[in-house]
Amino acid sequence: MIPFTGFNMPINYKSGIINEHKNVRNHSGIFDVSHMGQVLIENNNFHINNLEKYIPLKLNNLRKNKSNYTFLLNENGGVVDDLIVSLIDINSKFFLYIVYNASRKIEDEKIFLKCAPKAEIIHSKNCLFAIQGPKSIEVLNNIIEVPVDMNFLDIKVLKYKKNSVIISRSGYTGEDGFEISISNEQAEAFVRDLLENKNTMLCGLGARDSLRLEAGLSLYGHELNENITPIEAGLSWALDKDRLNDSSLNGYKVLLDQLHNKPSNKKIGLISFNRSMLRDGMILFDNNKNDIGKITSGCFSPNLNKSIAIGYVNSHFEEEKEIFCEIRNKMELVKKTNLPFVKKNYKKNGSNNE
Amino acid sequence: MGVTMNEKKYTKDHEWVSIDNGIATVGISNHAQESLGDIVFIELPLVGKSVNVKDEICVVESVKAASDIYAPIDGEIMEVNISLESDAAIINQDAENTGWIFKMKVSDPSQYDELMTEDDYKNFLEQ
Repeated sequence: MIPFTGFNMPINYKSGIINEHKNVRNHSGIFDVSHMGQVLIENNNFHINNLEKYIPLKLNNLRKNKSNYTFLLNENGGVVDDLIVSLIDINSKFFLYIVYNASRKIEDEKIFLKCAPKAEIIHSKNCLFAIQGPKSIEVLNNIIEVPVDMNFLDIKVLKYKKNSVIISRSGYTGEDGFEISISNEQAEAFVRDLLENKNTMLCGLGARDSLRLEAGLSLYGHELNENITPIEAGLSWALDKDRLNDSSLNGYKVLLDQLHNKPSNKKIGLISFNRSMLRDGMILFDNNKNDIGKITSGCFSPNLNKSIAIGYVNSHFEEEKEIFCEIRNKMELVKKTNLPFVKKNYKKNGSNNE
Repeated sequence: MGVTMNEKKYTKDHEWVSIDNGIATVGISNHAQESLGDIVFIELPLVGKSVNVKDEICVVESVKAASDIYAPIDGEIMEVNISLESDAAIINQDAENTGWIFKMKVSDPSQYDELMTEDDYKNFLEQ
């Protein structure tokens, strides 16, 4: 157990990080992510206009009962936080339901409450669980009837023992899976019900990190921070490009410029050739020992049986050149690769593929 | 006090040492492997290298962190456990037996006498 964003959280449960990781890739795993922020904001024009200063989406055009990966941006286009914003129908009334990082609660909530003074911060009364992996649908279906037409990024209010729960088909592992927001009172019974199925097991922060890294997903505080824009982070797909011409969006000029002219850094994937682990903070060099960037996340990949990492290098660094990483005072050659390391396996239109 | 053959002793850095005919076998304690979690790589020491007590001589990488392994006593590295190169997880399964890491020729047996006994080590862990 380690202290994490004000909670005591497990790095792993009994079977260890690698077993938990493999169980998610092959079967299913449950993550207690109740530390994360959750807010409900009534969907109206006043709130939308205010939020569009920070969020680079057309919030008026969000599809009903769909989740969207997006950001809160600061005045320079840097990332205050990365979020999932969903437009959901709760008892025939529409709300923006936003899930955000635990480490950014203070910064994010300042913005939410400024934009929507009556925003309802619900993580004190609702737990959040992620059930991830190809068997998760079977495990969840045992206790909650999941509509067969529910696809990746769909979100719905469903019933667990006659009580409403918010369920989205999403996650942070690259696998098919669900995230479930459920009242604190029912949380324990719900997880115990899920664990009745032996295909699933509880997983800790360690497996959560190695799974998201294999899937090439960014982690706030590592790949993302207030000094990195979504474009530098290789996440321009998550911006609504029309909004970059809108002067009401924070940092729109910086983002527009980076979209047309290369940003100064680019995000890359790295694989270790040898028996060294690539870890956060290690410096990257070219073959002339010039500092060209650094690693922002590194871990052991159970799927590749090698160490993998995500890092940033100077955009001027040429694609075909060799990259070295300084590990314990030795220069080790590392292999540059495209992200993700492991193919995503989301459920889209009845099939499970990318 | 003479040295008891094969009595396993421990260092404060969580290594175990047992001596037989002037050759020490060294590994990390079961407690150490438990706190490191899944061990994925090991950088073994060089055979033939002379080392002094407290020298960093090899590195164990777990999914959580890299940990240095120190020489528990002075001596010369005689042999390394090659099977760990392909499967470092042997240390997780059997840290204090088949998960041994290296063997060394002992220069000064009195250094071994000063290490903790199993009971001392248990008390040390409880502190």
